[in-house]
Amino acid sequence: MFPTPIQKASPFVQAGYKLLLPLALFLWLLPLIGVAVTSVRPAGDLAAGNYFGIPSGFAGVENYTAVFRDSPIGLYILNSFKVTIPTVIGAVALSCLTGFALAVYKFKGNLILFFMFVAGNFIPFQILMVPVRDLTLKLGLYDTTMGLVLFHVAFQTGFCTLFMRNFIKGLPFALIESARVEGVSEWRIFRYIVLPLMRPAIAALSVLIFTFVWNDYFWATVLVQGQHAMPVTAGLNSLNGQWVAAWHLVSAGSIVAALPPVAMFFLMQRHFIAGLTLGATKG
Amino acid sequence: MADVSLRDVKKQFGALSVIKGVDLDVKDGEFCVFVGPSGCGKSTLLRMIAGLEDITSGALSIGGKDMTSVGPSERGVAMVFQSYALYPHMTVAENIGFGLKMTGHSKAMIAERTAAAAKLLQLEPLLQRKPGQLSGGQRQRVAIGRAIVRNPQVFLFDEPLSNLDAALRVQMRTELSKLHQDLKATMIYVTHDQVEAMTMADKIVVLSAGKIEQVGSPLELYHRPNNLFVAGFIGSPKMNFLTVNVTAGEGGKAVVSLPGATVVLDAGATTIAGGEMTFGLRPEHVDAKGKGDAQIQATVKLAEYLGSETLFFVTLADGSEMAVKADGLASQRPGDTITLGINAKACHLFNTDGTAVINGDLTR
Repeated sequence: MFPTPIQKASPFVQAGYKLLLPLALFLWLLPLIGVAVTSVRPAGDLAAGNYFGIPSGFAGVENYTAVFRDSPIGLYILNSFKVTIPTVIGAVALSCLTGFALAVYKFKGNLILFFMFVAGNFIPFQILMVPVRDLTLKLGLYDTTMGLVLFHVAFQTGFCTLFMRNFIKGLPFALIESARVEGVSEWRIFRYIVLPLMRPAIAALSVLIFTFVWNDYFWATVLVQGQHAMPVTAGLNSLNGQWVAAWHLVSAGSIVAALPPVAMFFLMQRHFIAGLTLGATKG
Repeated sequence: MADVSLRDVKKQFGALSVIKGVDLDVKDGEFCVFVGPSGCGKSTLLRMIAGLEDITSGALSIGGKDMTSVGPSERGVAMVFQSYALYPHMTVAENIGFGLKMTGHSKAMIAERTAAAAKLLQLEPLLQRKPGQLSGGQRQRVAIGRAIVRNPQVFLFDEPLSNLDAALRVQMRTELSKLHQDLKATMIYVTHDQVEAMTMADKIVVLSAGKIEQVGSPLELYHRPNNLFVAGFIGSPKMNFLTVNVTAGEGGKAVVSLPGATVVLDAGATTIAGGEMTFGLRPEHVDAKGKGDAQIQATVKLAEYLGSETLFFVTLADGSEMAVKADGLASQRPGDTITLGINAKACHLFNTDGTAVINGDLTR
């Protein structure tokens, strides 16, 4: 059997494994641990230069209360949901349709069209910054959640289409042919045969897109200025004082902001992992 | 119920010609089997009848109506796929009723027809299960049930038994034959297994490289193959072929010189040109006890004792090889010499281009 199970390896290797694995895990989680520890540090520690040492006291309650008291984080989180949920629905729904069309129908330019969807992912969005800002301004969508939603849907649909098209390609084509011979219309084939079978893909993609869009900082700062439409990632900045960086509060705010995607991931974990591998192999 | 007719039907994939002009009539209620080696185009031809592949040129009609460029849903055909193509998220009952539901039939009618099909196929206890919980044979029956409920004019089967194990295949074969007798529907069945073709068909269509080699009843193909391809394809073990020298004898006879013997065949009205030809004789028509119109000596190279019969693979005097089917009590061992008897009435003779000149039809 390859690789050799660790229980059968030499004692030296076993000891090394037991030592190195937790160490690697600790290193991997270090930034997260740093943020978590900072979020419960009293403000005085940071002023005194105690950035990475043992906190001088536990100020978790004060810090987290301050986050909710001193900034409109509730509004920011609401804005994030207002941006993320319509984007997930829009991008996933669109890509179910585009993926179905590209996977099932043979038409001239099918592959070229598919590559266009994929190629969109390779454009660094920094070069889109100015034109997209101009576009949203001219359309009157600047500084609105709607503007963010539309842009995210447009930008995410490329990747979603790639994912969905490959997933549908992996489904047995005989199912579709069989339904055609039975006299089922194309729309009903999509609605009653393909869509139910895409459930794991839809679940996995929803979690992915939810996380991508929720964590977006770039477009949130480019397309939004006012508090009324600011998502939480960009809004956290307002926790810093005018002259002092309040890192303990920003850390606490970050932990709060990270909870929804983490919760989403754990809720959908089963579908997520199944979905990612399901597209790759048949059966 | 309807007849199916194809007129000079062709299929091109780009520059590649897959079906090179097929003319065929399948009569109403007939069980027609397309048989041929893999890649001969038999599945493509079936899919063209179903409407899943476009017909490049030629005409197809089902029940007298031109269906050449009609969509698959409007052809009134039902198809059973090799992979069964059951919808994995639906129960057996939903699978069977799906087509009817989607084409706007009433619930009562769907329930009635589903129940009737389930009864016919002994699926009643399985109706609430999902396809994943069924065995191969059961899935196969669900796929057939899904075809039956629609009362199609024509049933199309694409190698439906090839995913089943040997015992189940034999059982499903008889069940399908019985189903055909019960429904009296036109059925077109694709297989690469000549035993399936021989046992089930009213009419066999032998295909090779996109062309029809011969059409006929199973026994017609067995006794009177038109050419070397059909002669070699139908029958198991395969017909023996020897390259021989032939001279025309008096009174419509053909004198064939075999290694170590001469056999005189009755050519009937056919004129024999003579020269080099291919001599064909089925293993079951060679007598291992030496009885017949001519005797040849051979050495046993390999023997398969099957109990009911024994298969000898022998080497003739000139080194050419032959298979011989003897009865199960034949006692020769590899290395032994054996005297083979050849019945002149069972011998076939083929021209160098492969067409049959003399067919040794034992039924005459």
